[in-house]
Amino acid sequence: MDREEQRDRFLSLLRPIERDLENYSRRMVFDRRDCEDALQNAVLRAFRAFDRYHDDASFRAWMFKILTNEIFAANRKRGRIAEFEIAIEPEEIEEFAGLDFTADAPISWETLSDALDEELLVALQSLNDSERAVLLMRAIGELRYREISECLGVPLGSVMGNLSRARQKMRDAILRARRRSCL
Amino acid sequence: MLMKCGEVRKFVRLYLDSELDAKQSFEVEQHLESCAECAGLFQAEKKFDERLGRFLRHGQLTRPFWKKIEALIAPRPFAKVKILWPLALAASLVIAAGTVLVARSRPLDLANAVEECHSAYVHQITTPEFSGAVPTKIAQQFGGRLDTAAFDYRPSEPGFTSSGARLCHVGGVPVALILGHCAETPVSLIVFRKSELDHFPQTKRKLESGDPIACSRSGRYQFAARFIDDHVVCIVGDRPRPVLEDLLKTLRRADG
Repeated sequence: MDREEQRDRFLSLLRPIERDLENYSRRMVFDRRDCEDALQNAVLRAFRAFDRYHDDASFRAWMFKILTNEIFAANRKRGRIAEFEIAIEPEEIEEFAGLDFTADAPISWETLSDALDEELLVALQSLNDSERAVLLMRAIGELRYREISECLGVPLGSVMGNLSRARQKMRDAILRARRRSCL
Repeated sequence: MLMKCGEVRKFVRLYLDSELDAKQSFEVEQHLESCAECAGLFQAEKKFDERLGRFLRHGQLTRPFWKKIEALIAPRPFAKVKILWPLALAASLVIAAGTVLVARSRPLDLANAVEECHSAYVHQITTPEFSGAVPTKIAQQFGGRLDTAAFDYRPSEPGFTSSGARLCHVGGVPVALILGHCAETPVSLIVFRKSELDHFPQTKRKLESGDPIACSRSGRYQFAARFIDDHVVCIVGDRPRPVLEDLLKTLRRADG
């Protein structure tokens, strides 16, 4: 495959996920310039390494991994340290499986309007980098737990633990909005 | 043996994230069908996912920014090397002889573009959003670039079974993605407006050159596309090319 063909193939795989990558970066970094720098660096880095990408791997997961590394590196430079501090042993995974399944009464979605988005944004900003990365990789990237674990180089248990905590915080935000809408 | 409520509530989050194996998924589904309380909690959790997903995925593509990035990915110029002329001549002959073969085996641009979409389905990253009529909230996302009729195509071959559909974007083009199986192998139908074909110039040239069906291979998947009415209909999957071509020939709109 010559360089031009390689470029065409790279772009044909990249274009369908550009929006997801941009949304992910925007919600991981918040600052617009940092977000664009991370995206640009990630795409250029991915293209330079494209000959090492294998067809049997998910291009989406591969790109999310490279972008996440860029974002974490940028955050480290700016003093916003992103570390996975909580390592969970495999036997604890099952414990986390059911943690975020709430027994709260079903939410009346019709009563919640745009105000909820503000509440969710605040909650998203309150997550640490690890929680936010895992939540966004799952919700925007639609990556499997195993893929997220490989992307971040952390145990599966850490992925599940962070995802569980992140969802709980977002759920709390929805419940707060619901309570306010009932006032 | 049926799962108990406690077990189901432990597994339901994994079920929603498609992380359970087929047996466990079946057991959760069985329980949810027979237990109204768990089914209610499951629905609440599903709605939470949908609402959160809508918030997190909301956001338009900044097209000028991506154009700028794409422009930076230029092919590198070949390094200047001293080549003896006989070697250059031999290389030219080899290249000339191989040009036809390369041109024939090079994947079509549209085949490359839909590959990731289908791969996501095969790896269960993408799942159907609905079956039957297109929900209004999804139709509202078409932006005038797609029509609900695009979701109506199905092969009349009995070998194809559809599990549902979803709206998707391929190379920035909104498409109807109809997910199904053929002989237990995942097969995707991708339908979009003919007017969007300018995004895929190679495929456009091929289809407008008189070939009724444009075939190609991208990665591990076979791909075939054709015009039907005002739509471009593609089929992609890990099945022999003649099988996909036959499916494509039998495609009909439900209302046609």
